[in-house]
Amino acid sequence: MLDELLARFQARDRLALARLLTLVARGEQLEAIRAALSPKNETTPVVAITGNAGVGKSTLVGKLAEVLRAEGKSVAILACDPQSPLTGGALLGDRARMPTHPEDPGLYIRSLAAPSGHQAVAQHVDLMIRMVAQFGFDVIVVETVGAGQGDIAVRELADVVVLLVQPESGDDLQWEKAGLLEIADVVVIHKADLPGAERLESQVRELLSLPGCREIAVLRVSSAKQTGLTELWSTIASCPRRSTLIEPDGQVLLRHAQQVLAERFQDRAGSVGHVVDRWKRHELDVTQAADELLHVLAR
Amino acid sequence: MDNQPPLRIVLAKVGLDGHDRGVKVVTRALRDAGFHVIYPGLWQSPESVVRTVADEDADWLGISLLSGTHMTLVPRIMQMLQAAGLRHVGVLVGGIIPEADVPKLLAVGVARIFGPGTPLGEIIEFLRAQGSRTHA
Repeated sequence: MLDELLARFQARDRLALARLLTLVARGEQLEAIRAALSPKNETTPVVAITGNAGVGKSTLVGKLAEVLRAEGKSVAILACDPQSPLTGGALLGDRARMPTHPEDPGLYIRSLAAPSGHQAVAQHVDLMIRMVAQFGFDVIVVETVGAGQGDIAVRELADVVVLLVQPESGDDLQWEKAGLLEIADVVVIHKADLPGAERLESQVRELLSLPGCREIAVLRVSSAKQTGLTELWSTIASCPRRSTLIEPDGQVLLRHAQQVLAERFQDRAGSVGHVVDRWKRHELDVTQAADELLHVLAR
Repeated sequence: MDNQPPLRIVLAKVGLDGHDRGVKVVTRALRDAGFHVIYPGLWQSPESVVRTVADEDADWLGISLLSGTHMTLVPRIMQMLQAAGLRHVGVLVGGIIPEADVPKLLAVGVARIFGPGTPLGEIIEFLRAQGSRTHA
């Protein structure tokens, strides 16, 4: 069944893409799907949109998608909303703020539930990004849950991280807090039609001009008034790709290895359990059992 | 929650119908019962609903109608779901549906109709019992 799905995916069947994304979201068949994809495609730009709840991420993503479609670029949007830690339920409402053009095959919107806790994006979004890229979308936009501070995960996923801030959302000390401005490549003063936008812009610019800061673009955008949107896209497009910027970092490799290992534990739970059972029955001592586990987890 | 992955359900308001109190109550109840609810907002067209169900890989579609247009819109959506290869998606209808129209909607393939006053638990139990037709 998975083979058939993958074949349909390769033939650009949209329903197969949707189903495979569901499997990945549930953490099923990760290894097989990862293996079926061609090597990482570095040419498709991945843009992450982050910022606090209510700052207008979904709305801006929708507007940005329209700018891109007008340029003839196809867009896949992976929109994350929080999942309840108590029930596992989720209200995925990002679509409501995005345009629907059902006749347009160049726009794909997928709503994803992100587990509660520290994560700003859904699990396995890295794999989903590769899938929509291979499916042939020109630009990928990832909308985060809106955790605000500490969205470090998106930095590794995306080429360009766009941070949204809005007027009247705290004094300048708020922006000094660690983790917020640090992750951004572009800062958008959103809802720029509201009073206080200019003051906020000057605060942000002042912070970013302190010694030791990276070069970060600051733009005023209003989705309501449709201003600054094309400028935003040209700014994003001119940002250097993260993949070309980052020095090879051992941490990235180690994190990836940990992730692969975790996936294999999950995918091969049966064989792993079998080894554990044999150890419980004293058929193996702890060293032998560990060796056996390594054998099971190795390819 | 048991170990079943959460069911994905699209809840949609179709056509020029602004009465969204009911659908919002159901949205919250299903969310709290552990479902993943995708709510695309008011004034959806049949085309956009079908596109949403397809792209979101939904197990279920719930259509809320209080405008009296159910006999026009629901059969059209059912037909379009079939044409889009989404026969496996279960369809529920909620809202103001006259008694006489219920059998007609069931005849075009609607799984169940939930009128005003339906206890929320009834909808939840129904969906849990039916489960996913997609990933069975």
